Parts: sequence; C-alpha cells; structure tokens
Amino acid sequence: MVQRNLVKRLLPAVLLAVVAVLAFACSSDETGAPSTQLAPVQELRLNLGGEPQTIDPNLADDALSVGVVRQLYSGLLGFDENLELTPVLAKELPSQANGGISEDGLVYTFRLREDAAWSDGEPLTADDVVYSVKRLLDPMTGSPYAPMYFDIKGAAEYAMAMGNPADPQPVDEATLAQLRDGVGVEAVDERTVRITLVSPRYTFAYLAAIWPIYPLREDIVESGGDWTEPGRHVSSGPFMLDEWTHNDHITLVPNPYWCGEEPKLTKIVLRMMADPNAAYAAYLNNELDVVIVPPPNVKAVEGDPELSKQIARWVDMSTFAYEFNVNQPPFDDPRVRQAFAMAVDREAFVDKVQFGIGEVAYSLIPPNMPGYDEDLGQQWQYNPERAKELLAEAGYSGENFPVVTIHAPDVGANRLWAEFAQGQFEQNLGIDVELEPLEPHAFAATVMQGQFMIIPVGWGADYPEPDSMLPQNFGSMGGNNLAGYSNAEFDALVQQAMAEPDPQKRLALWNEAQRILVDDAAAVFVSYHERLLLVKPYVKNLVLSGMDAALDGELFLTKTYIAEH
Amino acid sequence: MVGYVLRRILTLGPVLLAVALITFLLMHAVPGGPWDTEKPLDPVTVAGLNRKYGLDEPLWRQFLLFLANALRGDLGVSYMNQGRPVTEILSDGLLTSATLGGASLAVGLTLGLALGLAAALRRNSALDRATSIASACAASTPTFVLGAFLVALFSVRLHWLPASGWGSLQQMVMPVAVLAALPAAYIARVSRAALLEVLDEEYIRTARSKGLPERTVLLRHTVRNGLVPVITVVGPVAAALVTGSFIVESFFSIPGTGRLFVQAVFARDYGLIMGATLFYASIVVVANLIVDLLCAAVDPRIRYE
Repeated sequence: MVQRNLVKRLLPAVLLAVVAVLAFACSSDETGAPSTQLAPVQELRLNLGGEPQTIDPNLADDALSVGVVRQLYSGLLGFDENLELTPVLAKELPSQANGGISEDGLVYTFRLREDAAWSDGEPLTADDVVYSVKRLLDPMTGSPYAPMYFDIKGAAEYAMAMGNPADPQPVDEATLAQLRDGVGVEAVDERTVRITLVSPRYTFAYLAAIWPIYPLREDIVESGGDWTEPGRHVSSGPFMLDEWTHNDHITLVPNPYWCGEEPKLTKIVLRMMADPNAAYAAYLNNELDVVIVPPPNVKAVEGDPELSKQIARWVDMSTFAYEFNVNQPPFDDPRVRQAFAMAVDREAFVDKVQFGIGEVAYSLIPPNMPGYDEDLGQQWQYNPERAKELLAEAGYSGENFPVVTIHAPDVGANRLWAEFAQGQFEQNLGIDVELEPLEPHAFAATVMQGQFMIIPVGWGADYPEPDSMLPQNFGSMGGNNLAGYSNAEFDALVQQAMAEPDPQKRLALWNEAQRILVDDAAAVFVSYHERLLLVKPYVKNLVLSGMDAALDGELFLTKTYIAEH
Repeated sequence: MVGYVLRRILTLGPVLLAVALITFLLMHAVPGGPWDTEKPLDPVTVAGLNRKYGLDEPLWRQFLLFLANALRGDLGVSYMNQGRPVTEILSDGLLTSATLGGASLAVGLTLGLALGLAAALRRNSALDRATSIASACAASTPTFVLGAFLVALFSVRLHWLPASGWGSLQQMVMPVAVLAALPAAYIARVSRAALLEVLDEEYIRTARSKGLPERTVLLRHTVRNGLVPVITVVGPVAAALVTGSFIVESFFSIPGTGRLFVQAVFARDYGLIMGATLFYASIVVVANLIVDLLCAAVDPRIRYE
C-alpha cells in the first residue's frame, strides 16, 4: 500500500519528466542547442488554418486567435518547457514564502520586471495589468473568458452589473464606475500589482499565466477600432505584427523591446489555409515548413522514405469522448452508461477511424497533465457480453431499449466519430441507433437546449492543471457542463482541491474527484488527441508542448531556428 | 430605351430590399445564433455580446436599423472578425474576387467561343466530337475535384505552380482555370448550337452565293447573329461564377468575398451575411441588366418598351 502511494505521489513528477523528454524528442534538435549553422534566411512558414477572429487577448476564444495572441503578448507568468509555471513579466513566481501570496491565500502580489516594455519602447506598467483585467470583466466587452476570473473580488458583480442575463436592467454610469472600482485588482506602484480573491484559490497562478489577462495599453486600445492593425498595434511578447493581409496571411517579426529570450527567427509567416489537404499539398510543394498530416494521408506519409523522416507526433492536452444527457432516461441510470462505456472498442477507434493518431482513453485527464492515472477506468475495457448484462440489470433487453439518437456537428471528422459509435452500440448492445448530423451552429443550439441523447465531445485544457478540465466540464456549476452531470461529492472535492495550497494534496483531491466521474461513467472517454506533423528537416528546435492552440510549437517559437540547407 | 433603362434601375431598389428582407428572415430562422459555438458561452457573456452588437433589440427594429445604416453606407460590424466594419472586410476582398471573376469570365468566354466556332465550322469532325466530350467532362466535373486534380499534378508532382494563395500570376493560373472551366464548356455548347443554326439560314447561303468572301460571311453575318444567344447566357454564367467562386476561393485559400461569405454563413455572422448577400445580389442584377442592353445593341430586332 505504501509503495502504491509512493508511486502515486511520484507519478506527476515522472509524467512531467516524460513530457519534458517528449517535448525535446519531438523537437528537431535533441540537445536543445543549435548544433548546425543558422541559415542566412530565418523565416518560418506555418499554417494558421484561417483568419483569427481577433488578436485582442481579452476577446480571444478560438484556437486561431490564441495562437497569434501568444506570439504578440506575454503575461505576468507563463510556462517553461516542462509546462511548469514560470515568471515572464513578473520578477518571480508568487508564493507565501516570498510574500507573493498572502497567508490566507486571498491576495496575490506580482512585481513586474524592470525591463518589461512595449514594442514601441514604452515601459509596461502595473496600470496596464489593471486596465486589462478590468476591461476583461467590463460587461460591455463581452469577453468569453470573463467568468473564469470571477474568483477575483468584485469581478462577478461588475461583469453582471446588468443583472439577470435573461432580463437585463439598465445601469447608470456612476454605478458601473463604482462596481469597476470595486474589482480586486490595483496598482500598488508603477511596478507592483495586487489581486484580491473572494476565497482562496491556489490554482489562480495558472489564470495569471494564460492570455485573457495579458496586459493591454489603454491609450492604444481606446484610440479606436483598428488598434489591432499593423502600424498601430503594440506588442509585449517576443514578436510583433508586421503585416496582416486579412484572410490571407499574417507576418510577425521580433519585438526589439521583448524582455525575454531573443528569437532566432527574423520572420514568421502565418498562412490562412482552411483546407488541411491544401495545406498538405503546399507543404509538399515547399510552400510551408510545418503541416498537420490529414488523417487519410497518414499511411502514405509513414510509407514514404523521405516524408517518414519528417514526422513529429505528440499527445495534446485534450480528450475525446461520447457524452450522454444524464438527466433523461435511459442515461440517467449509471448502469446504462456503464454498459455503453463497455460497448466501445477504443483500439478500433484509434486504429481504423483515426488512422492510428491518438491514444486509447478511459478517463478525462490526458497523459501529459498532472493528475493522469492510467489505471482509472480500466473496468470499462471493451466487453460486449458484460455490457449486455449491465443493460439487462438495468431492466433492458435489446428490444425494449428506446431508439438512441446521436447528434453530431456535420463538420470535420465528427460525423465519422458518430457513425463509429452508431455501429458499436448497434452491434454490441443490439439496440437501434439513429444518427442526426447537424450544421455546427444548429448542433450547438440543440445541445445548449439539452435536446440530445449522445454527442461526440472534445475537451481541451487551457492550462496544465486538472481544474482546467474537471469543474468546467462536469461540475454542477461548470460553464461547459453540457451533459448536466451533477454529483455533490465530486463538487465538494473540486472545491476542496481549488482551495488546497499543497500541490501534492491538491493532486490527490483531483484524482479522487476524477475517480468518481469515471466510476460513474459520466461519459465514454475514448481517446486522447494526438497531433501528427510533418516538419522540414531544416526546422530545428520546434518545441511541441501539448498546449499549442492552432500554431505548432507556439509557446516556444523563440527557440526555433532554420538550419542551413 | 432610356425609359427602359431608368425603369430597370429603379427596380433595383425594391429587388435589393426584398433580398435583404428574405435574407434577414432566413438568417434568423435557421437554428443556432452567432454565439452558439461548440464551447458554450456563459449566459453573462452572451448577454454582454447581444447588448454590444444590438442583438437584444426586437427583430423588426434590428432590420430597420440595418436598413437605415445601410442607406448611409454602414453595414455594421463583423462578429467573426471582431469589431471590423463589414464594408471594410468586403472591400478588402472585392478586388481579389473581381479579378478572379473577371479573368475567369474572359477566359471562359474566349475559350468557349473559340471552341464553339471551331466545332460549328467543322461539324461532325473529330474536333467537333472532341469539343463535345471535353465540354461534357468540364461541365460535369465538380469544381473541387478539378481543383484537387490540378493541384496534385502541377503543385505536388511537377512543382510548377503554388498550391494556394493569391497575388502572383502563377497563383492565378489554377483558380482561374477551375472557375473558367464550366463557363467555357457551357458557352462552347451554346455558341456551337447557335452558330450551326445561323449557318443553316438562307441569308448565309445568299451571302455566299453573292460571292462574299468567307471571312466576311463568318464575321459579319454568322458570328454577329450567333452571338445573341451567347450573350443571353452571360448573365447566368456570371451568377455561376459568383457561386463557383465560393468553392474556388475556399479551396485555393484566396482572400476574396466568396470565401468570406461561406465563412460568414457558418459563423452566423449576421452583418457580414447581409453585406455579402446584398453585394452579390447587386452583381447579379446589374449583370442581367447589362446583358439585356448588350442584346439590344447586337440584335436590332430587339426593342425595349
């Protein structure tokens, strides 16, 4: 028992080490240091996949926008190559020992680096942090990420100043200003920011490391609608905006005032090719340096003597599953959900449907995140006989089971995933399953109204801590809880974990919460998402972290360079 | 004639108003709104966004506001390109789409007429049969299949042309070829049939029997009269180019208005959908007007009251 606990305790450390090794293994240069001569032209050509909705960090919500925002801005904190928190604009990681976190866990104090500056040479100040946080929460900003910061004192009151969203009330300017002043973020001096929380939350440091509250310059933002265009935009990150031909490409160049590691690349060109096959053709025609391999081309790439040497693959921090509407019969019965969980041949899914891209999953937290437990959910291994028995125990034979409908957005591979599930459930449970593909927005509206039985779902983490996945997707109050799953014990453990200062104890609480979820078969966890890339041999040090949004290696593009070729 | 033109121009307003109203109603009738995304937004956020973009107003008021603003040249702002004015987004892609459409129409017309004329003059020859087969193939091959074939051949295998993008002459070759294929095939068939009909007319035999040079017979009497049916199909062909550009621009990642329109529909970007629809409706209506006027100019028998 002691040994098992020790293994459990060491597991996160081991996993992080594995992630580190994988990250370097995926990079083109294993030493991490340039071992070949730099090419005279340091230009990297990537595919963003489409036009980003915005490069305003307060508003960025989609993967394309986040990918660009991460090049242009930096936060108080960030992540190192092991995905550990690290100071970026802040001088150091806040802790109780250095006075960065108050003893009661309610007040975070960040001291900014002396050399933190904007790309026009202006100093980056505490006011820029305060301005960004308050703008994020402003009810007129409409930021999708505002609710994630409701742990800040006065944040929810300010963001919900108009009252009930279904019946908004007019609010006068004076009241709004009062609520705005009440938000718990203040500039103590030019280089010191203090953030006060409603209750202790020791995972708040992660929220200070992600893009929604990256500092913004008030004079630039308030100067007009086109402040995000080249020439007017200012950066705080490693790169700055050089050119933006809408719907075609974005060009980035190094920010001369960036206070971190100087990029080796002198230019990054982000093409906006939405069709993965077109991007793949462009890579083969030497128009791109990195590309995602479209799944149907995987076998051809693996069998090609040249291309097979250019493959890089790694597991993302995201999980694919089939989710039930747990509040309606027959899926309100855990035995039914468990039967469905045992009726899916996950190996076949990864091999046949995903062309070998991905890893079999039985739980929510993916392998490259702290909290992953490979033993979790093993009881739901593929077993059609036991699945039928479970259905019988729930009072169903194949005949009297209601017709099941699987709704799926008719875009990308969703339809294929739904068809696979249809085949599995029909064949292994002897029930009738109908498929209803819907246009993506119609699908979203259907799901939001709770008018579904089973849907294919993918969950990605915004940061490498289980609270980025567990409470959001399965907490009773979780903003992304589509299934309507509610379990008091799970909710209590999640709350306890968020307020737990000791990372190891916190991890144990997360594990306990996740076990409830998996044992309850809240969803059929099927696979962990993986990326399969082709990288030109002259692209070195492309560090793949598993946290990339739309751009490959986006967190560490300062390290990437082009070798002479 | 002048009265007819004026009347036609005056009908543009009601036609565009009807298009705007139908688009507006359909847009709001389809399930799912701009904020219904796979990752659901918090109701607080949705309320904020609705307030910000005026979507918390009753539908009739939203439509009237849109009309009032549109008359002033303001088509509102885009949701998917957050805060950018629709007019600015459309004008960004306008030149690209116009160049692509214009070049494709020119290539399609020239090639179609040349093939149609050659096939008509050598009726039932090998050339005629080859033209028929090529036209049938071009007309029945889906745009994306033809595009994929050209990319596989000229980009991936031969490395002669870039697989996507826009700006250089090389980048124009494949999209223009793909978009021009259908009009060329259609015009070749129409012009062949029209020219054959004219060649069988008695006045052509009369012209020949009077000893007029063959060149004069062909250019002055045959081609001119054979052009009328061809001109009448230029309107629908232009409309086909517009709809074809949606696919071609998406396939070749061309930053034109066609690709934007497709993206806007999928994103439920109401402002951009309305702006792009009115823009394309205007093109089709004006193209039809020009075609009608051209027909009158070419064929003196046509008189408009």
